[in-house]
Amino acid sequence: MDAFLNGVSTVFQALINAGAYVMLPIIITIIGLVFRMNIGKAFKSGITITCGFVGINLLVNLLKSAVSPAASAMVANFGLNLDVTDVGWGAISSVTWASPIVAFLVFEILGINILMLVLKLTKTMDVDIWNYHHMMIAGILVFFVTNNIVWALIATAFTAVMTLKFADWTSPLIEHFFGIPDVTLPTISYTSSIIIAAPLNWVIDRIPGLNKVNISIRNVQKYLGIFGDPMMLGLILGCAMGALALMPIDQIFLTGVNVAAVMVLMPKMTAMFVEGLMPISDGAQKFTTKHFGGQSLSIGLDAAVVVGNPEVITTALIMIPVTIFLAFVLPGNRMMPLADLSVVTFRVALVVALCRGNVFRSILISIPVMAAILYAGTFAAPYLTDLATSTGLSFDGQIASMAGPSLTQTAIVFWTCISENAIILVPVAVIIFVAVWFLVEKKIGMEKIEAYAAEYEEME
Amino acid sequence: MAKRVLVACGNGVATSTVVAAKIKDYCADHGVAIQVTQCKMLELHDKANDYDLVVTSGKFKDADVKTPIIMAISLLTGINEQATLDKIVEALKD
Repeated sequence: MDAFLNGVSTVFQALINAGAYVMLPIIITIIGLVFRMNIGKAFKSGITITCGFVGINLLVNLLKSAVSPAASAMVANFGLNLDVTDVGWGAISSVTWASPIVAFLVFEILGINILMLVLKLTKTMDVDIWNYHHMMIAGILVFFVTNNIVWALIATAFTAVMTLKFADWTSPLIEHFFGIPDVTLPTISYTSSIIIAAPLNWVIDRIPGLNKVNISIRNVQKYLGIFGDPMMLGLILGCAMGALALMPIDQIFLTGVNVAAVMVLMPKMTAMFVEGLMPISDGAQKFTTKHFGGQSLSIGLDAAVVVGNPEVITTALIMIPVTIFLAFVLPGNRMMPLADLSVVTFRVALVVALCRGNVFRSILISIPVMAAILYAGTFAAPYLTDLATSTGLSFDGQIASMAGPSLTQTAIVFWTCISENAIILVPVAVIIFVAVWFLVEKKIGMEKIEAYAAEYEEME
Repeated sequence: MAKRVLVACGNGVATSTVVAAKIKDYCADHGVAIQVTQCKMLELHDKANDYDLVVTSGKFKDADVKTPIIMAISLLTGINEQATLDKIVEALKD
């Protein structure tokens, strides 16, 4: 077994050394072939994704060269140490797909999902292969740090099971609050918030006075709408950083324009990843519906489908400036929120649904949720930066995002699996999770969650 | 004159790419000339009124948006996909 694993890791090492531009097309072609695509189409998918990766690489470099001088000047001028740049979830997902073990993890997650469906342990069928990157990053980081494929597989499995269960448990909120029946949302950027939000919501419900507050906030689009436009948000943030760096006026504007350009162009590059992976997702969907179509199950979708909710938009528009403020005042935080500010909607969506649209309470709970993301991003930055560098993204300074190991759920798995005491800590984390599973499904019961969610329709 | 269609989802990247691709293919097959742009639902408030049709991958409500909005989650789940595509083509006919 050891010899086999060593052999496998030698092959991987050779692939890693060849770099992502060589590896990505090969890996994607292999995954495509497994899902019965013809080789021409599979290879084209691989090349499309690689071109997206090249584009993301260019943009990350542009962002780094635009904000690095400003970030270091901010330290010198005001002692503001925000030298960890938020390069956005798109860059992190591209790094994920460029990992040599990604093919194993895709089939591991799909296998776990199918096994859980067969054993009736979940009702979620998640074939949105694109969003697997959220579940794979834990394993990929663990593999990068420990060089141990077994821990990587454990990390991914733990993340996948947690994600599917969180998706199951929160599905009544999707049906009643967001009004979309028969789907679940196994997207970690969305599910992760529940770890902090559910206990906090329980506490607030038991604080007399505070549990009655429900302020409705209107006209937020009118006054804060500019934070919803990535181009203008990027311009403002870039200019603000330039100003804090005490740059000359033309340099301030230049920094602003560069950050704005990155914020606008990044989604377009990331979309190439989705485009390339789309035929593969279709293949996976055909395969699973053929074998499990008869069962009553919920289709796992990208949480992108619910963030258009007006209360979610309102909460996100308020949380964007609040998050920037938190980044400046939280002691020890070094992450400068930038690219991912435009997807704060995902981080707050489940909080809003849990609070059944109470914007005041959603904001109260979103503050610790976002603070946890900033800290986790700061702590994981050295590892994430090394991983990104190993795939060919290059820059000075450190990177983070509001996805990957910044998300509470992924952070728990990552830090326990790379710990020296992983052999103790991982089982402890698993036991806690199983206890929560028991608590939610046996003690509280899905009927009660269903009833809690359904109350929203009476509140309206 | 090609009709301008704005496809929106949460991040303007993932599900909107899937929805946009299906709309493009279907419209091409039915001889409807369209020009598709993608964005985030957060941006709809400011952008939607410049387009002939807005298609979203999830629920979206905004009283200030006057452009017709079609919710196309079926293009992701595959359930009732045909009905939604027909509705989109219908909305784009003069």
